[in-house]
Amino acid sequence: MLAFSSPDAFGQPLDAPRLVMTPPLLSARGLQRRYGAIVALKDVDLDVYPGEVLGIVGESGSGKSTLLRLLNLEEPADGGSYTLAVAEYAGRDLFGLDRFQKRQMRVRHIGIVYQHPHLGLRMGTTSGGNVADRLILAGERSFSRLRGAAREALNASEFPLERIDDLPRQLSGGMQQRVQLAKAIALRPALLLLDEPTSGLDVSVQARVLDTLKRLQRETRVTTVIVSHDLGVIRTLADRVIVMRRGRVVEVGLADQVLDDPQDAYTQQLVHAKL
Amino acid sequence: MYVAARGGEEAIQNAETLYRALNGPLSPALVEGIERALPYLVDRVMAEGSLYAPDLAALAIAQTGGDLYEAVLLLRAYRSTVPRLAYAEPLTDADLVVVRRISAAFKDIPGGQVLGPTLDYSHRILNTEALSRDVQPEPPAEAEEPAPRGYFSVADWHRLNGLLAPTAKGEEPVAPGELPDVTRDPIAFPAPRAHRLQSLARAETGGVLALGYASMRGFGLIHPTVNEVRLAYADVRLRHPITGVAFSLGRARISACEVVNNMADRLELGFAATLGWNEVKIIAGAMLDMEMDKADAHPAHTEEFVLYHTEAVESSGFCIHYKLPHYVTFNSGLDALRRVLLKRDTEQRKRVIDEPVVVEGEEALA
Amino acid sequence: MNLSDLSTPTRDYSYAFLDAFAKRELRRRILKAIAIPGYQVPYASRELPIARGWGTGGLQVSLSLVGPQDTIKVIDQGDDQSVNAANLRRFIARMSGVATTFDTLAATVIQSRHRVPEEILSEGQILVLQVPDPEPLRRATPSMTIAREMHADADYAVMWLNLYEQIVRYGEFTGGASYPVLVHSRYVMSPSPIPRWDNPKLHQAAHLTLLSAGREKRLYAVPPYTDVRPLEFEDVFFKVESQYGRRDRMTGATHKFMDEIAHADGSSTFSLSDTGYQDKLVKRQSGEAVTVGATYYDDHGEFYHAGFLKS
Repeated sequence: MLAFSSPDAFGQPLDAPRLVMTPPLLSARGLQRRYGAIVALKDVDLDVYPGEVLGIVGESGSGKSTLLRLLNLEEPADGGSYTLAVAEYAGRDLFGLDRFQKRQMRVRHIGIVYQHPHLGLRMGTTSGGNVADRLILAGERSFSRLRGAAREALNASEFPLERIDDLPRQLSGGMQQRVQLAKAIALRPALLLLDEPTSGLDVSVQARVLDTLKRLQRETRVTTVIVSHDLGVIRTLADRVIVMRRGRVVEVGLADQVLDDPQDAYTQQLVHAKL
Repeated sequence: MYVAARGGEEAIQNAETLYRALNGPLSPALVEGIERALPYLVDRVMAEGSLYAPDLAALAIAQTGGDLYEAVLLLRAYRSTVPRLAYAEPLTDADLVVVRRISAAFKDIPGGQVLGPTLDYSHRILNTEALSRDVQPEPPAEAEEPAPRGYFSVADWHRLNGLLAPTAKGEEPVAPGELPDVTRDPIAFPAPRAHRLQSLARAETGGVLALGYASMRGFGLIHPTVNEVRLAYADVRLRHPITGVAFSLGRARISACEVVNNMADRLELGFAATLGWNEVKIIAGAMLDMEMDKADAHPAHTEEFVLYHTEAVESSGFCIHYKLPHYVTFNSGLDALRRVLLKRDTEQRKRVIDEPVVVEGEEALA
Repeated sequence: MNLSDLSTPTRDYSYAFLDAFAKRELRRRILKAIAIPGYQVPYASRELPIARGWGTGGLQVSLSLVGPQDTIKVIDQGDDQSVNAANLRRFIARMSGVATTFDTLAATVIQSRHRVPEEILSEGQILVLQVPDPEPLRRATPSMTIAREMHADADYAVMWLNLYEQIVRYGEFTGGASYPVLVHSRYVMSPSPIPRWDNPKLHQAAHLTLLSAGREKRLYAVPPYTDVRPLEFEDVFFKVESQYGRRDRMTGATHKFMDEIAHADGSSTFSLSDTGYQDKLVKRQSGEAVTVGATYYDDHGEFYHAGFLKS
């Protein structure tokens, strides 16, 4: 059984990320993506280490959401390679997997929370069913275990359990994001992708969802990549930051370093515009 | 009670007898009369029936009292009993004896706009005189010079001007025997273009019009232009298997339509053709052919949707199948419904969901 | 001796209606279907002189199978004499000269719409089920193209998700007829709209089942002795229709699938759906010598594969 709320189960929760000591969990090299004449990604390299939170910032159209869709194996890359250090496919370029293997990979090892809940949830299926969906995909065929695991994941996302049988369309935006989050973590993925997870929410709700994200990450140490145009969100969650512009990475560094002392001219503009 | 109609064989015999008696006698004169007097109806049935046989189509119309769905089914079923013996030679525009050929793309085209037989520009007024006396049509005027054997193709003009790709939709011509054949292989999507055009040719006229009209009226993405509409006679030519000499088996009425769409840097073509003269169907069909290539076509204009749902025999047959008894399936559903009502009555829903599942006794359902 | 003695006389129609090429194609597709249990094999599907959606899929399979030595039984909702069954039986007999029967035990080929007979079928018998919609994933996606990909990937999670949702909302599985099954642990298959009562009869059956959808141009098969399991959870089970307390108004038989006869006062009486079986019970009760076969469900409602139906 899963035990999200017990920090003891996950070693020393307050350890600093061991950035250099361990090999990266996620490694991508030379990512390319074009839509017709538009270059969405050009020569993007990326390493994410176990347990760390990588923030991706940049203005609209900088390629950050495209990057996330590639990492989620939702759409193909036009060039480059992508590996995740998980048992079955360690060392294999994930872009080379077939449709079936990609699906296995996404079910078992990658969780995602989208800005728009309708991308991540079946709006006509109950909240519990949305979480159970992922366990069914992984082969679970016991109703009581599905029910139990759905309750547990929803509880870990601080979703009110009395609403487990409500449809997402009956829920507030914040609660919809909690259902997405529960679905994303239900199978304890190696990699959690967050695409503007709090952007559609009003400020107080946003703060509470961020608290949940931060607590969950601290407890489970799940390796996380978060995309946001909101530097406040990035500062709250991210250990390290990459800055993207026009499909390229323009600056990489520790979150505090990049946000407090930006080196690149574009990053300086971005930070100052926000502050 | 038709369902458990005991002695079903006698009942259906009587039902058929009554139908035939109400429709009246059949005779060679009636069949010939239909073939002569109702050529457009015969053409429609031949196209949907996918069989060029005006006498059999007229017979099918007579035998079903003009119920077109039944008439088309008769032709299609007859078709299933005849083996395929040979493939005719392909036809090109130049092989057609054209009687009507118009283009909306140009004021004048090489060879001219040939109006041919049409009511397009006439007043549609019931000729009530014919209720009380014979009305003879006026003899048509003789042309000053005989019609040319082939007409210049407007699409060829586009190609000469570099506006249109040399082959339609990038597909190379293949030998007739190797064409994908929708009557010999089930359609799969994306469909080979041959399957698409064959399906449109066989499709139910009203269905093609309804979906085509939805596209034209604004649910489609395009506003195409009719490049050419042709009504023609075509020689069905076969090559002798030993001597290799081509000979004509006879003439068939055919119709074809091309529409063009302006894609800013090139033109794009939609096409439909049928056995017999079916102008509305080929125009709507050509529009759909073009619409179905669009990446984000309206759901009602995607290939799978259009080709499945305009199939003449399948759609009408499935519609009337709802008259068949369904009491076993209905009862199976009732059983499931009664279980749900029982659960609700005893308010055990919560318990079953969040605690170990309790199995109800069969007695409770009795 | 002259030429006409040596040649087959010309007939207006081929033996069993379809031309020989069509029959050859069908037989090949049937063999493929048997080789891949539960997989929907596309086929050309010729038009027949009955309307599409009225059993043309089953009829094409039957016509391609029968020879002069066969005996055919045709039922619709369990009834040999309902109008469409009578029509199909008459057509097959007229076009192929086969013998016809109402007796399940005497038939070599049984074409059926929406029922599996109550008497246990044996090796060598073929059950041909008419299928209106071959696609068990239709509710998940109306697109055949997407459904085919889902089958290729065995991407069936949505089917169990539906079961989960049914329990959550209604406390019960709400599926009626056409209850989906998993064949040979690989393909999810629609058993055609047979009642759930008949689903278990396909599991490890001695006979061959062929399922054919003429309008949708797909045929599929359950070969003899193949696993066919209804979709269910490990801890919430598939249920057949309750026949508890139902008694055949003609013979008093119980624990068989019953048609519910509605009366004007809102009450119901019951009649055996399998009329061929009912006929034999009536004959036996009136003292006639008649062989009634063993049935899938015994007189106490116990299914013949003990333990297959869990409670």
